[in-house]
Amino acid sequence: MATPQTSFDVVFDENNQEFSIIGAMRPESAAELAGCTALFEQSLRTVRGTLYLNVKRLVRLNNIGFRVLADLLIDACENKPGLKISVITSSVVGWSTRKFGTLSAVNDNIIVEQYDADFYPGQAFVEDDAIISLLRTQTKLTWRHERSMLARHGLKPDMAVADICCGIGDFAVLLQKEFEPGRLVALDHAKPSLDYARQVAKDFGVDGIEYVYGDASEMLLEDDQFDFVTCRHSLQIFDRPELILKELFRICKPGGRVYVTNEKNSHCLGEPRGESIQWTYNEVAKIVAHFNHDIEIGPKSRRLMLDTGFKDVKMESFMVTNMDGDPQDFADIIEAWKNLFAGKMATMRGDDPDFIKRFCQGFDDHIFAALHPKGYAGWPIWVASGQKPL
Amino acid sequence: MRAGADQAGLNTFQPLLSVDMDIGVFGSNWAYCDRLSSYVARMISHNRTDSLLFANLFSSAINELLETIFRTHSPSGRFTCSVARSGEIDRVRLSLPADAEVKAFYDTALARLTQSDAPEQYRASLFSEGPLDLSIGLFELAVDYDARFSLDLEIPDMLHITADLALDKAKI
Ligand SMILES: C[S@@+](CC[C@H](N)C(=O)[O-])C[C@H]1O[C@@H](n2cnc3c(N)ncnc32)[C@H](O)[C@@H]1O
Repeated sequence: MATPQTSFDVVFDENNQEFSIIGAMRPESAAELAGCTALFEQSLRTVRGTLYLNVKRLVRLNNIGFRVLADLLIDACENKPGLKISVITSSVVGWSTRKFGTLSAVNDNIIVEQYDADFYPGQAFVEDDAIISLLRTQTKLTWRHERSMLARHGLKPDMAVADICCGIGDFAVLLQKEFEPGRLVALDHAKPSLDYARQVAKDFGVDGIEYVYGDASEMLLEDDQFDFVTCRHSLQIFDRPELILKELFRICKPGGRVYVTNEKNSHCLGEPRGESIQWTYNEVAKIVAHFNHDIEIGPKSRRLMLDTGFKDVKMESFMVTNMDGDPQDFADIIEAWKNLFAGKMATMRGDDPDFIKRFCQGFDDHIFAALHPKGYAGWPIWVASGQKPL
Repeated sequence: MRAGADQAGLNTFQPLLSVDMDIGVFGSNWAYCDRLSSYVARMISHNRTDSLLFANLFSSAINELLETIFRTHSPSGRFTCSVARSGEIDRVRLSLPADAEVKAFYDTALARLTQSDAPEQYRASLFSEGPLDLSIGLFELAVDYDARFSLDLEIPDMLHITADLALDKAKI
């Protein structure tokens, strides 16, 4: 207890000319930051052009710490001709863009950039108001299956639970009602979805869900916090899903479990018109891969979980179909997919009209199968969970 | 308008928590500022719009208050930090032992905050040479967090400093 605690890490990555500070920096005196200062000065010698100061995960900083950093940056710019410094902040931290922003007024060669959605190309497709009703209907249909599966994967009442990439929060509301967790944090990187989620919870009179804005690949949630961490239909939107799994692993308590659901879209099916449907969903897998995402993760979940360090990995699959309640719900999902894949994505890829026409046809046929009195249409999903070793 | 926490609204505030300790204990370890601010922030954030963002901002704000008090207080007596809430406003109330000199420090500092050039004064002291202005934390709260302060100097050998913060709606 006696020594002041400044719990931060500094790292210099020479390849990227990036100096990162992570954690909490609240020293009593500048002298406590001597190590950081020395590393910065040493790093600076190797830098040409632009130095990046990454403070995305610098959560706390007092004025003494800020002054030390400010002096270092300003001195560096004054003494090293041609040097530019780019300070990368995160909107998630709250105070840092404004605080570091004051540096730009002192020296023109210091610029402050708040990193955001641009980082993940796939987010452009999902951080969008139109996606809200799609997610709603999807969750309505998947919940029928998952509701009974969750307990098999270890979810119990009173647990501390986090739903990462929660979207519009329907799943969190259902969890809250059905499983009464002791704590429930729901995190997403789309503000419109979170606003919507808060409104839904309010409308349904559901209290106690903490809707949190954050980036799943660099969460500010502390280590070892949750008994059960869920992440549904979301590994597929990151080009490096293993980084997300690492974060899910980190926030999970030892002995707790992480639960993920993933798709394999090329396996969507329907009858009649099975061939056209199959062709289109093969193309879905390809177009998503074109944007560096993998919508085929489902059966790969076991390997991903094991590679992350989980043990006791459990896996099962289920099929959402047109016979789960109202077939129109299923048809609505497909219509939204058509707009996303054959609309936005195909246009962005620059596909020709003939291709787009055929691409659309498979979705229309899937809808036809779903609404046909003797038809059958399905969307398969894989559930995997693993335990973080004690 | 930055000074003058609303006294009339006092009874609509619901107490959330209060931490009480000997000022000598508090003043013995700098790390208590960080720990106390993080603890208080975590305890009161869960039902704000975004619990994590709110806790970060709240912790940053009250840490500056606590660091100010760490450096400027009288040596013996009780130190209390309490938080009460009314709607969007969180009222942080700090009581500390204060002789005439300590009282004069806070009185002068808060008077400076009400001047129209407070933002310029704050930024100038942030980038000035030499030791940091002892009231920089108070400036930061007033300028960047839009805190409204009030000061009670009437009690012998004590002072109460109150800061009203509306961080949930702050566009920081
Ligand atoms: C396909 S949706 C799945 C949503 C929800 N789990 C569901 O099943 O309805 C993917 C979600 O990930 C969110 N997302 C995208 N990038 C993110 C990031 N970097 N951090 C956190 N969430 C992110 C999107 O905003 C979107 O809500």
